[in-house]
Amino acid sequence: MKIAVISCIHGNYEALNEVLLDIDRHQVEQIYCLGDLVGYGPYPNAVVEMIRSLDIPTCQGCWDEDVVEGLNACECSYPSLLAEKRGRLAHEWTNQEIHPETRSFLAQLPLSLRDGNLCFVHGSPHSQHEYMLPDMHAFTAMERVLATGADTLFCGHTHIPYVRQLESGQLQVRVSSGQSSQRPNQQTSNFSAPLKRIVNAGSVGEPRHGRTNATYVLYDAETEQVTLREVEYDYQKTCAAIVEKGLPSIFAWRLARGLEFAERADDPTHVCER
Amino acid sequence: MQTFPLTLVAGPPGAGKTTWIRQQLDGAERFAYLNLGADAVRIDATYLAAEVPELVVWSSWLPELADFTKYQTYIELDFHIDLGSLVLPTEFADCHRVAVLPPGIRQTEWHDWADVIVTGTETRVPLQPPQLWRSLLTGQVLDFASLTTVWDELINGAYGHVQRAKGIFEVTDGRSLYFDFVAGDPEPTSTELDLPRWLEGRPNRFSGVEVVGEQLDETAIAQTLKDCCLDDRTLAYYQQQVREFLEDG
Repeated sequence: MKIAVISCIHGNYEALNEVLLDIDRHQVEQIYCLGDLVGYGPYPNAVVEMIRSLDIPTCQGCWDEDVVEGLNACECSYPSLLAEKRGRLAHEWTNQEIHPETRSFLAQLPLSLRDGNLCFVHGSPHSQHEYMLPDMHAFTAMERVLATGADTLFCGHTHIPYVRQLESGQLQVRVSSGQSSQRPNQQTSNFSAPLKRIVNAGSVGEPRHGRTNATYVLYDAETEQVTLREVEYDYQKTCAAIVEKGLPSIFAWRLARGLEFAERADDPTHVCER
Repeated sequence: MQTFPLTLVAGPPGAGKTTWIRQQLDGAERFAYLNLGADAVRIDATYLAAEVPELVVWSSWLPELADFTKYQTYIELDFHIDLGSLVLPTEFADCHRVAVLPPGIRQTEWHDWADVIVTGTETRVPLQPPQLWRSLLTGQVLDFASLTTVWDELINGAYGHVQRAKGIFEVTDGRSLYFDFVAGDPEPTSTELDLPRWLEGRPNRFSGVEVVGEQLDETAIAQTLKDCCLDDRTLAYYQQQVREFLEDG
């Protein structure tokens, strides 16, 4: 079975449309979406309507959650004052723009999806706000995959596509009974973790890989082959709409250069507990 | 008539006037500097004073004629000063005139005006007077990550075509930073000024920014810089954190 995984559309309808056309050309049997349908971009309602009308299984992203629950990100999840102010502007604009049915759709999205040995989340299995970067510590990365019970974990949120193999994972656990500090009673156990894989689908609507092209992934369940797809779209249309609809024009400038609207957090593993 | 040890320095924005003056000051004593046209945004004067602590800077007031006899004085003329209409005291008639110009340009008003032409940095000489935007930032402290973002956006054209930009900014950890950009220069610079860290309240030393270019969105630049500034409560919090960190060594 061949599937397509898309993520982080961020109200960019032009990019979504082009990616769906590209997916059509590859004759996939199922599309999964990893959330962040809204936020920053000019067409949150149209994007949600498209996803809903195509009945694409979708999990909830951090922006989707914030629009439903109210802005919950703490200031330490932003890398700078400027990013925080821009994030708040985008949130307020989106909050005003979306229709009640859009909000209702976002509210009922699950946090994760399963399909056999595949699991789909937005950030990580623990939070929509956690960044699983490609250089995340191997132990932590392995824990995240094991937490799902799946062999392949699809995630988004970082906007940078990658495939990471976690193979031949050797875990050693030493347990001390603590009876005596002189001669602790220790038991050591060794585990071999089976091959696991993390696939980041990148971003359809807000690429952060230095080019303007939308990204998504194709996955062949038979061969386990992952293909990272990069799709050109008319980003200038989206940029024009950003300005026309009253979003900050700096968003258009950044999108046109393959820059993220707001940079990722300094501590990408930080999860707000507020 | 008494003559004065005085050098006037002119040239287009970004050609390297301040850099040339800085080079003349190395190892010397009893030098003074005056920037005509900078008004309250004394970026070059502040930069030179930090680089050469013994330099006497006449930046906000015109000295008495007698003062000019005490120092070898450099007067930097901002690019927007019309050399043809510049009227100086008759005592300055014999002063030395230096034009710092980008390589390869000929037959300009600076050539007619100067005694000496110094080849400076590659920079575009605008046909029309460019747009000049300045802002005094004294008392404002900027978040460093925000500052680097807005500076990157600024010099890459997010707010209009920028030919020259420079600024002195106070940042959260108490440092005073000098940012310098000339269009075409592959490596825009930012350096820390040799000044004590300011970690108690709002700094009352100079900071400010100057941007030269075309079609500058001045409102957007001003608002974005404002968005980078810390409020009183946040500033006090970070200053305390930095003080504790420095005390712990």
